Amino acid sequence: MTTLVIGLGNPLLTDDGVGVLTARAVQEALAAHPIPAVEVIEASVGGLRLMELMAGYRRVVLIDAWVEDTLPPGTVCRLSLADLERGRPPQHLASAHDATLPTALAAGRRLGLDLPEDIVIVAVTVGNVTDFGETPTTAVLAAVPQAAAAVLAELRKGASNLR
Amino acid sequence: MKRITIDPITRLEGHGKIEIFLDEQGNVANAYFQIPELRGFERFCVGRPAEEMPNITNRICGVCPEAHHMAATKALDMLYHIEPSPAVKKLRELFYMAFYCADHTTHFYALGGPDFVVGPDAPKAERNILGVIHKVGVAIGRQVIDMRMRNHHVIQLMGGRRVHPVAGLPGGWSRALTDPERAEIEAIARQNVDFALFSLQLFKDVVLSNPAYMEMILSDAYTHRTYSMGMVDAQNCVNFYDGLIRVVDPDGNEWVKYHPRDYAQHVAERVEPWSYLKFPYLKQVGWKGFVDGPDSGIYCATPLSRLNVSDRMATPRAQEAFEAFYETLGSKRLPNGRYQPVHYRLATHWARLIELLFAAERMLELALDPDILDPDVRPVVNTVPDEGIGCVEAPRGTLTHHYRTDARGILTKVNLIVGTTNNYAAMAMSIKKAAQSLIRNGVVITDGLLNRIEMAFRNYDPCMSCATHALPGQMPLEVTVRDAEGRVVAHLSR
Repeated sequence: MTTLVIGLGNPLLTDDGVGVLTARAVQEALAAHPIPAVEVIEASVGGLRLMELMAGYRRVVLIDAWVEDTLPPGTVCRLSLADLERGRPPQHLASAHDATLPTALAAGRRLGLDLPEDIVIVAVTVGNVTDFGETPTTAVLAAVPQAAAAVLAELRKGASNLR
Repeated sequence: MKRITIDPITRLEGHGKIEIFLDEQGNVANAYFQIPELRGFERFCVGRPAEEMPNITNRICGVCPEAHHMAATKALDMLYHIEPSPAVKKLRELFYMAFYCADHTTHFYALGGPDFVVGPDAPKAERNILGVIHKVGVAIGRQVIDMRMRNHHVIQLMGGRRVHPVAGLPGGWSRALTDPERAEIEAIARQNVDFALFSLQLFKDVVLSNPAYMEMILSDAYTHRTYSMGMVDAQNCVNFYDGLIRVVDPDGNEWVKYHPRDYAQHVAERVEPWSYLKFPYLKQVGWKGFVDGPDSGIYCATPLSRLNVSDRMATPRAQEAFEAFYETLGSKRLPNGRYQPVHYRLATHWARLIELLFAAERMLELALDPDILDPDVRPVVNTVPDEGIGCVEAPRGTLTHHYRTDARGILTKVNLIVGTTNNYAAMAMSIKKAAQSLIRNGVVITDGLLNRIEMAFRNYDPCMSCATHALPGQMPLEVTVRDAEGRVVAHLSR
């Protein structure tokens, strides 16, 4: 496998599950129309553990919920790691217990882990991440196909780059 | 009255602040740690089949899903009246030791350790895992990551999934071990023992031999004489997976030892108007406010308190480290042979490394136990469920899951007391004391205030969002200092 797609978030926390739901949609789409060397997983982690999950892959697409009040809920955005350095990062790209993702990646590289250079974040703006529930709010749920399409577009772009 | 506000901006703006209130003389009167609210976990669970709980609750925390998975699984044992076989218990404990090895390592090297290894007054930008690597060298940094990765490999192998384990069953464990897998885990456990010994040596070289660090550890600013709580085995040794809950008073006398299922008789929860979180305290001692001492029911459930409640460690090298810990910190042996408790909160970091060594040694013992290859680990469930309480020591404190169901196993009641919650009152006291050391007569020493307060609560490794039942986010800090009229006179943030 050369590309890893990670759906981040808690599927039990209303809008926070949008990354996981999107990853599942991506997986379904790939079952119908496979793209070679792509693996899809879900995880509710950040920081070091997220960094470690990426080791050995050439490319990673992260999907995460984003609390960003200036955009309406359900807006699909493409972010880079540089975007994480400014402003407020999406929900799971930091960990209160160890490190932010950029710090974790810097540490991993310093220690010689085989980490991807190519990391893209598909973030979906969210509203409710405080109530327990398995279904996102209407606008966020409606954004799942668009977010999945954005991930698939990244994967196809990468696949054609590899050729 | 002057008010100082420290904001950990997690997922919700305006929630989860530290507020420090000054009296008329400008000294710290009170410190409040407010928590972001996450609503409706109990309600979310009620109406679901209880057997979903190990897989639901392991989603409430991205840091210790294994602890929730285990407490939930143990609650199902009792709910379905199935006593797990020795092999099942050992498999679970082996899995759990791998989790402890990864988690305690991470805390020391990535979160708590930077204060000591890099230095408490180093810039924030350096007090992280990168700073630690810079200080100790790439080779050791690589060992830290290898320690995490090999133990996460064991967690995946035994728990069935890379992050959120799925192996726990009522009275069972979904997957037996093969001998080649056991051999692999044995080799990993041996490496873990070496790494834990190395880490204790590092602590000795870097922290214990530095008079400034020792002075800080022994200082009044980081000392609270509270009760201690922790799980012990039949020999009164630390145990993370199973046993009785033992509480000792501030002088080290056993106050009570009870079965986890009786927790409600011993622990009550205090509600304060300014926080969503409840403050557990010892019922029979009573709530006396945010004060320490033998008359206050505030207790601690941390690596430090687990050592304090124990007579000794169950494994030989951890026992040597345990004795060195108490002797070095000036503890005398009591007439009953136990050491006087240590109340220096910053010693929790050292206690955590002793627990790391115990977890590694225990992991090796279990990997060598003939029972561990027993293939019969999935008992048939044909009982009528009613009520279950499951308890383990999470790295951050005693974790209790309590479920009630109807005869079909549908949940009618859910209550969780998570590790961090136990320490919530103690943490509020620690924050107050740390603030007192830097705020006197209206003079606020802003340099270092954030870090001293962070150090005060970091040694508890609080999982604040978990304590209100959610995933952890990031925790940057923001401090606002207000004068008597509420005007902002200073603002600190990162």
